[in-house]
Amino acid sequence: MYTAALPASVVELTETLSALPGIGPKTASRLAFFLLRGKSELALRLAEALKGLVERTRFCSICYNVTEADPCPICTNPARNQRMVCVVEEPLDLLALERTDQYHGVYHVLHGALSPMEGVFAEDLRINELEARIRRGDVEEVILATNPTSEGDYTAAYLLQRLKPLGVRITRLGRGLPMGGDLEYADAVTLMRALESRQEL
Amino acid sequence: MHIRSLSLRQFRTYNRLELDLPASPVLLLGANAQGKTSLLEAIAYLAVGRSPLTNTDQHLIHWRAVESAMPFAHLKTEVIHRNHADLIEIALEQKTLANGGTRLEKQIKLNQHTIRQMDLAGHLNVVVFLPEDVELVSGAPSGRRRFLDDLLSQVYPAYVESLGEYQTALSRRNALLRHLRDFGGDAAQLAPLEETLVQTGVTLSLYRRRVVKALAFYADRLHHDLTGGAAWLQIQYQPNFDPLRPPAVDYQIGLLPETESESPVDLDTLYEAYRKTLHAQRRIEIDRGMTLTGPHRDELRFISDGVDMGTFGSRGQQRTVVLALRLAELRWLEQETRESPVLLLDEVLAELDRARRTYLLNLLGNVEQTILCTTDVEMFPESFREKTLLLEVAEGIIRRK
Repeated sequence: MYTAALPASVVELTETLSALPGIGPKTASRLAFFLLRGKSELALRLAEALKGLVERTRFCSICYNVTEADPCPICTNPARNQRMVCVVEEPLDLLALERTDQYHGVYHVLHGALSPMEGVFAEDLRINELEARIRRGDVEEVILATNPTSEGDYTAAYLLQRLKPLGVRITRLGRGLPMGGDLEYADAVTLMRALESRQEL
Repeated sequence: MHIRSLSLRQFRTYNRLELDLPASPVLLLGANAQGKTSLLEAIAYLAVGRSPLTNTDQHLIHWRAVESAMPFAHLKTEVIHRNHADLIEIALEQKTLANGGTRLEKQIKLNQHTIRQMDLAGHLNVVVFLPEDVELVSGAPSGRRRFLDDLLSQVYPAYVESLGEYQTALSRRNALLRHLRDFGGDAAQLAPLEETLVQTGVTLSLYRRRVVKALAFYADRLHHDLTGGAAWLQIQYQPNFDPLRPPAVDYQIGLLPETESESPVDLDTLYEAYRKTLHAQRRIEIDRGMTLTGPHRDELRFISDGVDMGTFGSRGQQRTVVLALRLAELRWLEQETRESPVLLLDEVLAELDRARRTYLLNLLGNVEQTILCTTDVEMFPESFREKTLLLEVAEGIIRRK
């Protein structure tokens, strides 16, 4: 690149930013110059926020969600049903479920899905921790809420096989047609799954 | 079905081509390296979204276009069915990335709507016969599996679905086997993948068994006629895992296995037998780092008068076998789809003697549309040429003769 014409600190920032997902070298240099151009207040606030992110957050020792207080506010909330555990792949999935305002149990974040081709195996996910949590005996139902992808399905099938002998109730999120969708334009796999998981009325 | 029009932009040797075709035989004449085979390739590409000649789509873009600022190729065809018409388009565009590399974008459209490659199935069915097809008989087993996969994929979307799931689960299981060998871990992670292999693998195996049985039936007769009544042909499907018969079908050449029992077996029994086999093999397969059982190791053999043609057939015998197989493919597609597929023949006559040539040309009378390539028009009798559209191909330009 044209790095020789730029101060080292700008190059350093640009290169760091372009390591982020979805940000290429062009966007990175645009962001760097935006921060540079008289917005020192914004740049410092960003620096503080990043520092706080690294120094203050950690994983909850019960559910492995990202938190500042351990255990996290959800695991310590007496209004929530601690006997119902919803298993998700990522913290963002947990947030999506929270937005519904309809789920009052607690969570367990795996931090990924099984994907042997990308080198993600059972020992790389928080599965041992989930099993230990259930063995402690205070869980009645486990809701498998991994993504409806081929990796998510594989992970759910593996979890089912591993948790079944522990004698807890295991359920899987319903799957089927999206709201506002149209049968005519639904793909064959979605329709097939919707048929399989149809409900008695 | 037949192709009414074909339009190519920057495809192989064709800079620009607009061609209208009749529902009758079409004969492409021209010296070597003028674009005859590329035209057949274009039609086959529009049918399945994959070239019979290369796995690298980049090679399909005109060589001069590749050096231009925005290399692309565009193919379009109108296909006439009994009661409707389909417009199929494929666009290839080579994009240059920020890091200097390139990426090929491929867009497939059916009647102006973008579709997935697998949804092309059934809108244009073709049977292609190329000189190098003799490899099907003499070459590696993977070519024969691809032959079965391509044929079944043209007709059954469910087959495409199962094949995709099978291949994903297989790659995952192999990656996991290697990981377990090198680093250890919970072997129970294999079970869900094995379940997918079992369910989809049995589906693949049953489809293959069915299509081979039908192909064998047609090819036997065709081969008999092509050889002037001299030799019958047996096509044998040898599934790597055959739940109908216990494995270990290691027969010697010339010693044919006894006729198959066709007693119906219920699916759950098949699944269970397959599941047990995979489970029993785990230890060996972890050592080897790969899955040794399943349809990805199926075999197809061609046997004429007790002799395995793949190993012991002469070049000429192998050609006759492939021709019988391609014509059987045509019959099967007609039977399954109730429509005549488009037949694409590249330089086949040159390889046949007069009697076989006449037999083949007579057969073409029943096909809605056949497109043939030749360097020598004299090989075709006057009576055939009269019913045929003759086109001259020279340096990527096509003229009516």
